[in-house]
Amino acid sequence: MLNLINKLAGRSPWIYRINAGSCNGCDVEMATAALIPRYDVERLGCKYCGSPRHADVVLISGPLTLRVRDKVLRVYDEIPHPKVTVAVGVCPVSGGCFRDGYSVGANIDHYIPLDVIVPGCPPRPQAIIEGVLKAVGVWRARLEEGLCSHS
Amino acid sequence: MSSILEAAFATVVFPGGLFALALGLFLKGMDRKVLARLQRRVGPPIYQPVIDIAKLLTKETLIPTTANELAFRLAPVLGLTGMLVAAALMPVAGVWNGVTGLSDLLVLLYLLPIPAMGLMLAGGASSSPYGSLGYSREMAVMFAYEMPLIASFLAVAVRTGGAAGPMLSLSGIMAYQIHHGALLLDPVMLPAVAALIVFIPGTMGSGLFDIAEAESEILEGPLLEYSGPLLAVFQLMSAVKLVVVLELVVALLCPNPIPGGVPANLVWHVGKCLLLLLVSVTCFRAATGRLRVDQGFAFFLKFTSPLALVSLCLAITLR
Repeated sequence: MLNLINKLAGRSPWIYRINAGSCNGCDVEMATAALIPRYDVERLGCKYCGSPRHADVVLISGPLTLRVRDKVLRVYDEIPHPKVTVAVGVCPVSGGCFRDGYSVGANIDHYIPLDVIVPGCPPRPQAIIEGVLKAVGVWRARLEEGLCSHS
Repeated sequence: MSSILEAAFATVVFPGGLFALALGLFLKGMDRKVLARLQRRVGPPIYQPVIDIAKLLTKETLIPTTANELAFRLAPVLGLTGMLVAAALMPVAGVWNGVTGLSDLLVLLYLLPIPAMGLMLAGGASSSPYGSLGYSREMAVMFAYEMPLIASFLAVAVRTGGAAGPMLSLSGIMAYQIHHGALLLDPVMLPAVAALIVFIPGTMGSGLFDIAEAESEILEGPLLEYSGPLLAVFQLMSAVKLVVVLELVVALLCPNPIPGGVPANLVWHVGKCLLLLLVSVTCFRAATGRLRVDQGFAFFLKFTSPLALVSLCLAITLR
């Protein structure tokens, strides 16, 4: 029964976006990728949620600026386990064109484990959808791990 | 003894309990699928709501430190229980006639606001500002749609005039329609039919009336702080509420059974609920956006209530 539930769970990834000081380019791509009928991520069971408490897959964009750092980490803590993070764009991993800027500190992966990285400035919608699918793979593995450790 | 067994069967298996849950999840899935097809998308599988609930069971339950934990945990259970009781009272034409004395519009009038109460309790207990906003919006919309609902209930009751037993009992209303034809086609009742059909999206919060749980505006309001199994209970509550509301409107407007015994009537009943859902919820929410709170409130007071009252007056004068 638990096994079945874990198998089913991977087919309902609910997506939450965090903007960690992004220039909005990746956010526009994310809204385009997951919201318009053309790419229809709902067929994968995805749903955008407004609340971090409902989220399974977190899409993070932007180079964690100093001003939003604490808030991003706080929102990240509010997401219930098991959760998977996807870094959208080059900024979360390297800082992108904002690297070494006065308002940018250490990269996101110093604070939050990044499971999937979708590079690009901004990445294409198809790439973001593929990133979400890969994140679902990571999530499934995590659920099964959890199952093993429980039993 | 047999009456106790019967009541237990009605609550746990049919028409409440398992049947209501299964039908509710099926209707929710059809709603999402048809909406997707209307938008030229593939859409999720019809059993997607079941997957969502299975998923939510694997998630962690987080409770805000500032929340009132007891009320926070109790709210979804309260809403679901209320709706399961209501679902057990709903008659299915040609299959089940409801509980004598309890399948009554007066009882349902008290049971129907329970999910909204659950959501208000949830919004208040979660200690989140968005929760409180959702609380006040839920209450405003509820006050607005209760009035046309009561007026249409009365119009239906006066029109059917207690053909068999008490005026407000559902079995009497159904018996009248089986003899005299469905109220759906009764010209006197047309305004009330319109009011009842608008009541469905109003109470389910879809389309124009997605006011209390507006996810892009107040982040799903009362549900904002809920996660994991408790959120799953809220989803089940919403699914059973959909069944109750649709079955109620079907019983009031078009409960006529077809020849062919119990299985055929069961399919006929589900088909009627599905058709009503597609018209009043799916197409409606595909075609409309959200109203502001005050606009939603005014909509019910200005358009829906007068419609129901016109039917009531006509029904009284033509008695």
